[in-house]
Amino acid sequence: MSVDEILLRSRYSPLKNILSYDIFNTGLNGWMTLMPNFTEYPDFDVPKTLVCKDQWPPVMLSSATYRYPGTHGAMSGTYSLKLSTRPVAAPYTEIPAEGCLGHAIKRMSFYRPGCRYLQIECWFSYTAEQDVMDEDNRSQPGLHENSIRDFGMGFDIQVNGKRSHVGLRYLNAVDGKLVQKWQYELSKEGISDKEWAFGLEGDWCKKGVDPWWFGRRYPNGDHDGFKDLADGHQKLIYNETDCKLNWQYMRLKIDTESREYIEFQCQDRIWDMRGIKSDLTDAYNRIDNLINPLFWVGTDTNRRVFLYIDSVVVSQE
Amino acid sequence: MKMFNDSHLEVKKFFSGAFETHPYEVGWADEAIFFVMVQKIKDDPTFTAQVQLSQDGVHWASDGSDPVSLKGLGLHIIKVQSNFGNYLRLAVNISGGEMFLNLHISCKG
Repeated sequence: MSVDEILLRSRYSPLKNILSYDIFNTGLNGWMTLMPNFTEYPDFDVPKTLVCKDQWPPVMLSSATYRYPGTHGAMSGTYSLKLSTRPVAAPYTEIPAEGCLGHAIKRMSFYRPGCRYLQIECWFSYTAEQDVMDEDNRSQPGLHENSIRDFGMGFDIQVNGKRSHVGLRYLNAVDGKLVQKWQYELSKEGISDKEWAFGLEGDWCKKGVDPWWFGRRYPNGDHDGFKDLADGHQKLIYNETDCKLNWQYMRLKIDTESREYIEFQCQDRIWDMRGIKSDLTDAYNRIDNLINPLFWVGTDTNRRVFLYIDSVVVSQE
Repeated sequence: MKMFNDSHLEVKKFFSGAFETHPYEVGWADEAIFFVMVQKIKDDPTFTAQVQLSQDGVHWASDGSDPVSLKGLGLHIIKVQSNFGNYLRLAVNISGGEMFLNLHISCKG
């Protein structure tokens, strides 16, 4: 076995068929930012919506370089895929502010029949920008862990006439207060497409689609697009300062035949999610057999926050 | 074969006054070009930009090149001088009106 294969088998638990194995030392490998559709008159404009989705920052290959320690590098080599936000956020219960989310997506498809299980796994880390000191009315005003609102990993899938958004997010902080729990994508029963789109009739995104942008939010961290993962509180590593990264592991496995979550792992915890059905939205035109793995990160305040993906494996069997 | 990437920095928005493009890391590259597409104009704006470098993405300084001034609809190109390190941005001032921009950075290395 080559060193690469040894590392793959040791750091990951891929299913039988590896669709993509991206360690970002040879480029972005097809990962890019997620933009809306520029299809409307008069000038490649976006379909009507109350959520501005075209101000997200780009993804980039980051050396994770900071003011004091210099370059962190990645778990593999020098570069990791960095998602970032603009330094702007609305209060949690409001429509997401322009640019408060950063997104990364790779676009693929089902390549043969009989692929039932689909899995994404990655090594990641996250931090807030080490920009300015906060007011001196709390301990460690130079530590900004509570600036990160959330980050997530999942898929946009369309197969057998139905579209599903599936994924997990780590809800880190709500309006400055650390929450530190996992939630999975599943839209609230009984709400309408219009309620999903903050009261707009005819938004491109129907109930269950793009929950990082849509779905009503509540002061306690609840969200019409997410449900709390049972026993889902987990303190990840945020290593004492905004300029240290520890690489951490997470994995999500789903069943694309029964349209269920199967299992989620983060570090030393594994959650059995069998029996939890995913959202099923009527198929959108022209994207049958779509598999789009994706990540996002959101800021809770007027500070940039970052999610770093050292490497990611998407596999099926 | 070289690695290439083009990324959007500022798109689909009118700009006026002073602003800076999103801090962009490109330590892997040898070349960087800012593509400034001016798609719409209000009044008679002039776009003046200074390429800036940073060690940490937070503190910035001019890269020593002359500021670039441009006017008018269409595509304008700002090539970044070599030895640009890792973090790059444009510090821009638009005076005399507004410009609707599609501003990208293209890098190769």
